[in-house]
Amino acid sequence: MNSPWGWPVAESIHFLGLCMLIGTVGLFDLRMLGVAKQVSLTELHKLVPIGVLGYLLNVTTGTMFLSTAPDQYLYNPAVQSKFFFMLIAGINMLFFYATTATEVKRSEDSASLATRAKTMAAISLLCWCGVIICGRLITYYRPPYYWCLWCQ
Amino acid sequence: MRESGAAFFTSLTLHSLAMAFVVGINLAIAFRLVGFAPKLPIAPLTRFYPLHWYCAVLILVSGLALLLAYPAKALTNEVFYLKLTALSIGLLISKRFQYTLSNLPEDEPVQNDHKQLAYLSLVVWATTICAGRFLAYTHNVLLASRFY
Repeated sequence: MNSPWGWPVAESIHFLGLCMLIGTVGLFDLRMLGVAKQVSLTELHKLVPIGVLGYLLNVTTGTMFLSTAPDQYLYNPAVQSKFFFMLIAGINMLFFYATTATEVKRSEDSASLATRAKTMAAISLLCWCGVIICGRLITYYRPPYYWCLWCQ
Repeated sequence: MRESGAAFFTSLTLHSLAMAFVVGINLAIAFRLVGFAPKLPIAPLTRFYPLHWYCAVLILVSGLALLLAYPAKALTNEVFYLKLTALSIGLLISKRFQYTLSNLPEDEPVQNDHKQLAYLSLVVWATTICAGRFLAYTHNVLLASRFY
């Protein structure tokens, strides 16, 4: 990682993974919220494995960043917030597949989707946008000047 | 721009967010054209293009703001021109897809030229992202004041 190419290559893969996630999970969320109503929810969901691949790329490269400079990440409030958004997105996803996914796939009309499904879509989209924003903030909140959100 | 931390950071964040949506939408359509989710009708996917173009405008506006903050840093770096070229080609492909795919019948198989253009789209968007990230690491000049 500390070679001249290490960081930029890993960062490029990290952002590409995020784009794969937004382009599949993000579009599925937008579709549930009523954007592009002509797109079949069931068929659009078949692109989600690409998003999962993107997420795995993010976890791999993210672990590389973290293990190379743990002090710069673990004590960084932007990273802490990013992890928080990832945690909420993860819980939201588990809750979605446990309670709502079958109903969503059955219903092709977003107007008839339950408010619960739309709320979950909004939470998911906001969380991933939060992840991107906090990811960009990391470089501005480097320790030792900042080390947590609650001790400024 | 450079002296206001909030203005610079806001531009940088909006640039990343808009880029994620533009590249994301293009990747989804390109992956569909090269054979993923073969039962997903292609024409309705073009309904995501209006959002794509709003985000593309945001990319250009925030990109211009970032360029105003550090003009010498970008303009003296070849990688910046690579990003600009890849981005322009990617947006031209998007425009072509929007026009040619929006009326495509549901049962029509993907044409070969669309498939080839989709592969090219994947390459140019990956190049745009990589060039964007490498910009931060490859500049030789930060401020024009270095020259006088």
